[in-house]
Amino acid sequence: MIYFDNSATTQTIPEAAERACLSMTQGYYNPAAAYGAAFAVEKSVTEARSFAASLLGANASEIIYTSGGTESNNAAIFGTLRSMHGNKKIVTTAIEHPSVFETVNAAAKMFDAEVLYAPLCPDGTVDIDRLSEVLTPETSLVSIMHVNNELGSVNDLDRIAAKVRALSPNAVLHSDGVQAFMKVRTKKIPVDLYSVSAHKLHAPKGIGFLYVRNGVRFAGGQIGGGQERNLRSGTTNVPGILGFDTALHAYSEKEASWHVQMQRVKTRLYRNLSALPDVLLNGPSLEDGAPHILNLSFLGVRGEVLMHALERYGVLVSTGSACSAKKLGKNRILNAVGITGARQEGAIRFSFSPFNTEEEADSAAGVIETQLRILRKYKRR
Amino acid sequence: MDRVILIRYAEIHLKGLNRPFFERLLADRIKQALNPVHAAVEREQGRIFVYGIPEERIPECVDRLCRVFGIHSVSVARCVEKDWDAIREAALTETRSFAQTAENPTFKCFARRSDKRFPMTSEEICRELGHELLEAYPNLKVDVHHPALPVTVEIRQNSAFVYTGEVLGAGGMPVGSNGKATLLISGGIDSPVAGYMIAKRGVMLDAVHFYSYPYTSERARDKVVELTKLVSRYAGRINLYLVPFTDIQMTIYDKCPSTETTVLMRRLMMKIAERIAKETGSQALITGESIGQVASQTIESLCVTDDAVSMPVFRPLIGFDKEEIIDKAQKIGTFETSILPYEDCCTVFVPKHPVTKPKVDKLRESEALVDFEPMIQKAISEAECMHIG
Repeated sequence: MIYFDNSATTQTIPEAAERACLSMTQGYYNPAAAYGAAFAVEKSVTEARSFAASLLGANASEIIYTSGGTESNNAAIFGTLRSMHGNKKIVTTAIEHPSVFETVNAAAKMFDAEVLYAPLCPDGTVDIDRLSEVLTPETSLVSIMHVNNELGSVNDLDRIAAKVRALSPNAVLHSDGVQAFMKVRTKKIPVDLYSVSAHKLHAPKGIGFLYVRNGVRFAGGQIGGGQERNLRSGTTNVPGILGFDTALHAYSEKEASWHVQMQRVKTRLYRNLSALPDVLLNGPSLEDGAPHILNLSFLGVRGEVLMHALERYGVLVSTGSACSAKKLGKNRILNAVGITGARQEGAIRFSFSPFNTEEEADSAAGVIETQLRILRKYKRR
Repeated sequence: MDRVILIRYAEIHLKGLNRPFFERLLADRIKQALNPVHAAVEREQGRIFVYGIPEERIPECVDRLCRVFGIHSVSVARCVEKDWDAIREAALTETRSFAQTAENPTFKCFARRSDKRFPMTSEEICRELGHELLEAYPNLKVDVHHPALPVTVEIRQNSAFVYTGEVLGAGGMPVGSNGKATLLISGGIDSPVAGYMIAKRGVMLDAVHFYSYPYTSERARDKVVELTKLVSRYAGRINLYLVPFTDIQMTIYDKCPSTETTVLMRRLMMKIAERIAKETGSQALITGESIGQVASQTIESLCVTDDAVSMPVFRPLIGFDKEEIIDKAQKIGTFETSILPYEDCCTVFVPKHPVTKPKVDKLRESEALVDFEPMIQKAISEAECMHIG
C-alpha cells in the first residue's frame, strides 16, 4: 500500500505510540494531583511544553494544549473576539480550512462582525501587496493560514505580520499552522496565535496546541478546573502530550533530511506525471510549495473516480481535504484560486511523509498512467 | 387503568368478503413492528388493540405503528370498566395536564357507543362528561367547531376506552397483501421514495443496485444499504441484490455510440433486474423515474427503457416534480442519506450530450452490436444478496 494522503493524517511512529501507551498504563496520574507520582507526570508535561515552545522560539507559558487543530482554530477566533469590545472586523482568506472558515462565519453572525477576504495570488498565497485593500486601523482579527492544506502554498508570515502591524496595529494576528508546523520554517513565529495539530506529525490524534503570545488579548476556550493557565480547562491529556513530544523530538532531529526526502518524493512523482498528457500543476511551483503537498489536475477524468481506481491498486490519495470530502458541491478552495470546470473535476491531492520513497512515487505514477489510459477512453465526449 | 393503543384501519374497511385476510395480515405486520416490545395485539370489530406496553415505551410504539402500512390512525387510550365513574376518572386524568398547561384550553367531547346496553346514549355521555370536565378544570372552555383537544369515549363490548386525539398513520395496505416487486435503487433521492410508495400499496419489496467497482466507493455502496434499511422500516424485510456493472458499462462505452450510452446502460440494468425479479418471484419492476427529469427520462427514453423488458414497470413518481419528491423523501426520512455526495455508477462516466429522443429500433440495433448475454449472466452470478430489515 502506498499512502499519499499524509495531510489527512499520518501514521503514529511506534516510539510516540509507546510513550503514550506507557503514560496510560503506568504514569497515568493526574498531573494536577498533590502526590509525588502526579508531580513527576506534571514535570514531564512541563518539559514537553518547553520543548514544543522552543520549536516556535516561544516560551512554555505561551503553549496552550488543546484537542487539535479544529479546537485551536475555534479557540483562537472566539477567544479573540470575546476579549474585545465594540465593532469587530475580521480579515481572513477564502481558502482557509473549514475550522477557520466556518468558525469565522459563525463568529461574524454571533458578534455582528464584518468579514473581509484578503486578495489571493493564483498560486494560493495571499497577495501581500494588496493586503492594504482589506486591512484598516479598525481591523480586530486577522486569520491567515500558514500552509494551504489542498494546494501546499506557503504564506510569508513575516511579511504579512509586518503589514498587519503597520496597517492594523490593534488587530490580533492568528495563523492556522496545522499543515505548516515542522514542515516549513517556524523558528521565530511572528504571529500572536498559531494553531498546531499533532496527528499531522506522526503523533496520536486528539492532541494539539494553540500558541498564544504573551500579552495578546485572548479570552481562552473552555471553562472549568483552570488547567492551561485557565485558558483551556479539562484534565490534561498526558498520553497525547507525551506521544506528541516524542514525535516532535523525532521530527526536529531529522527535520532537514525529512524535508529533503518529502521534496524528493514530490518532485519525482511530479516529473513522472507531468510527462503524461493533460496533467496540470495546481498551486505553487515545486520549489515554492510546502515539501509535502502536490496538487495535480488530470483533465478528462473525475477526481473521485480516479481516486477509487487508484485505491483498487493500493495507492491512497484524496480529491481534497478529508474535512471537505463529504461536503456537497464544488471545491471552495480551488474555486477561490480560479481552478474550475474540468481542471477542478480532475484534481487530486498527493501528500507525503518522510517515510515515503521515490520508488513509491515511481510505482504510483505507473498505476496512475495505466488508470488514466483506461479512464480517459470513457471521458465525456 | 390500563393504557392501550387503539388502531384504526385505512382502506381495509372497504373490503368485502376477503376483509378477514387483510385484517389478519395487518395484525401480523403490527406484531412484527412491535416485536421488540412484546405487546399483545388483538383484533376486535374493526379495530386492533395493543395491550401490555410499558408506559415509557408508548411513544416509541406509536412511532413504529405510524410506519406500518394499512393503519389510518392510532390513539393512546385508557381502557376501563364500562362504568360511569371509571370513565369519568379516566377522562379527568387524560385531560389534566392539558388543562393545566394549554394556551388555548378548548375541548369537545365525542362518544361512540357500539354496546347499546350501556345505559347512557352517546349524546348523554358527551353532555355529562363535558359538564364534569368544566367542573374539575374551570379554565377549560368548550369549542364545538375547532377544539384544541378532542376527548373521545368509546363504549365497546368488553370495555370502555377514553382518549384524547389521534396520530395519523401511513395509510395504504398491509405489506404482503399485493404480491412482490423489485425496486431499482440508485442511491439518489427518487428511488427510495418510489419503493416506499409501491410498498404502501401492500407490495413486498426486493431491491437491485448496480455498482461500478472499483470506480465507485465503499461509501457509495454503504449508502445504498443504509437507504434500503430506511425503506425497510416501512416495507419490512427487503432482499437487496448488489450487481457489479463495470464490465458491461465499459463494453457499452467501447463498442456502442457515445450519445446512447446512458439509455443503453438503463436498458441493460432493466434486463438484469427483470431476470433477478423473475428468479425471486417478483411480478413487476419499480423505478424512481419522472417524465423529463433528465435526458434518460424523456418520454422517448422511457419508451426505449420499457422496450427492454416484458414485465410491468411501475413508476410511481412519474408525474411528480423534483420538489414534490424531495418533500416526500424528507417526510419518510431518506433525504439526508440520499444527498450524501458519492459518485454512483451512473455518474462515473457520462457522455456530455446524451441523446434525448432515442428511437427504439435504433437502440435495439446499437445493443445488438455486442453480445451482452454472457456478461449479463456473469453479472447476475456475481451479484451479492443482503437481507435487510
